[in-house]
Amino acid sequence: MSIISVTDLHKHFKVNKHRSGLAGAVRGLFSTESTLVRAVDGISFSVEPGELVGYLGPNGAGKSTTLKMLTGLLVPTSGQLLSNGHVPWRERKTYVARIGAVFGQRTTLWWDLPVIESLELLQYVYKVPRERFRHNLAEFRELLELGPFLNTPVRSLSLGQRMRADICAALLHEPDLLFLDEPTIGLDVVAKERIRQFIRHINRERGVTVLLTTHDLSDVEKLCERVMIIDHGRLLYDGQLAALRDRFGGKRELVVDFAEDEGAAADLSVDGATIIERDGPRVVYSFGRETISASGLISLLSARYRIRDLSVREPDIEDTIRRIYEERLLEKPSN
Amino acid sequence: MRLFFELFKRAFQRALTYRAASIAGLMTNFFFGLLRAAVIMALYGSRTDVSGISIQDAITFTGITQAILSFLNIFGSYDVMNSVSSGEIATDLLKPYSYFAFWMARDFGNAINQLLLRGLPLILTYAVFFHITLPNTLAQWLALAVALMLAWAVSFSWRFLVNLSAFWSPEARGIGRLAFGLTMFLSGFMMPLRFFPDWFVALCNLTPFPSIINTVIEVYLGVLGGPELIRALLSQAFWLVLLFVICQLVMRAGVRKLVIQGG
Repeated sequence: MSIISVTDLHKHFKVNKHRSGLAGAVRGLFSTESTLVRAVDGISFSVEPGELVGYLGPNGAGKSTTLKMLTGLLVPTSGQLLSNGHVPWRERKTYVARIGAVFGQRTTLWWDLPVIESLELLQYVYKVPRERFRHNLAEFRELLELGPFLNTPVRSLSLGQRMRADICAALLHEPDLLFLDEPTIGLDVVAKERIRQFIRHINRERGVTVLLTTHDLSDVEKLCERVMIIDHGRLLYDGQLAALRDRFGGKRELVVDFAEDEGAAADLSVDGATIIERDGPRVVYSFGRETISASGLISLLSARYRIRDLSVREPDIEDTIRRIYEERLLEKPSN
Repeated sequence: MRLFFELFKRAFQRALTYRAASIAGLMTNFFFGLLRAAVIMALYGSRTDVSGISIQDAITFTGITQAILSFLNIFGSYDVMNSVSSGEIATDLLKPYSYFAFWMARDFGNAINQLLLRGLPLILTYAVFFHITLPNTLAQWLALAVALMLAWAVSFSWRFLVNLSAFWSPEARGIGRLAFGLTMFLSGFMMPLRFFPDWFVALCNLTPFPSIINTVIEVYLGVLGGPELIRALLSQAFWLVLLFVICQLVMRAGVRKLVIQGG
């Protein structure tokens, strides 16, 4: 039984157009022209309990809109959505009691009060039994290293500290589902890593189902086995991250340093690989997975020339995703 | 109920962190109190009684209104409005509590803080400079406490309602300024309503505003006889219930608009 199931979900917004100039402004008082924006345009997916799913997409792709519908903050224009046994916007109060959500740009903490005050308030907000609450707080405090700033007012925290406190706040009531919108945005490497470890921990140890949106592909690489990619309101990909890389990984590169005397003279070209850079004895070949394997290319070259050093560069996932967006590799031909 | 108390406690604590602002506020309240007392004295001239209110009562009136003005937030509050227009409301909608009750508890914490930190010192200072009237029976003190609480609750509900306009207008502050200006005038904050012509008072009584200030003043000064007193308190309760119901309906419509149109 899926914990989230979404079928043909749409969310359309009307955006008013503003006419230019004074005459336009006056006309705008009487009639407004609006355009329809299809923020989410027919997506379907389901998530099983205990999954940790990454939800990727460029700005304006529809990630946040989807997340808002999943948390009950927006009502879809059409389509079905069932999450944790509820229709989120219809049974908001009972639904939100069992989920946690962190919207990276906002905080649920009280700005002027020490962090601990906001956290302890949640015991009463969610009516968590005292013992369980103490236990959870102690555990999260340890894992997220909240100790040093528990008594600091939220307004004096660094972004990384605030984010850790917010993530803690989203989990103290032991939700079944956790939604994270850009949980690592603007954080340094160390802070990102700590948050990722924590997310992995609560997913593995406590079985919390996690859906996270991010721009940061290293989040996805380190955390998620499954990714969903959305662009222009449509789901472009839903599957294993590894499969994505195999399918759209693009070309790999082989960097070869030839022995000094080989360099200038020979033609150095090889079937199945193209030279994309040549700088003295250093030559960079680009080759596709389908045409030749790395070891094949290397043995071919070393049979013909004397080689001093070489290295293979894997295309990074960032490039892969960028190519998917730019070249619309996943766009269905229909419509 | 426990949650209400915890929210109240934190709002109270939060208000404590603004000590400098509280002290500055107190000074301002006191300065304007003196000014208003001086105006009243000039108006009374050689008369000792206007519309059943003695000069001492009138001066007390300026003291009391200055003392409870921050408790009741007479100049208005814009917190809910800001939370709606900045989108912060989303984090509250993700919590399993009533948005109205959440803000009510916070407002109460803040109000009690202001009553103790600004109201009390102000009225004590007044007592040093002027002869002020004090309620003289226990019953009167009790009635005052009830009237004060009801006045705060009516004031809160009214302010909450005004703030909800932010769901429909991105620049709701203008609506707020108009509404709160009206509150100040029709509640009897400027002058006791007894000083005004009957038709004007009748008009005011069709609004919740006298329940916010005027009732408190009349109860404090003891100018209401038994049945009149009961009627005044019941009228406060009536406006509270009515405003509460309207708030719930408007809130529901606002949230519906927000979740459908995306704010």
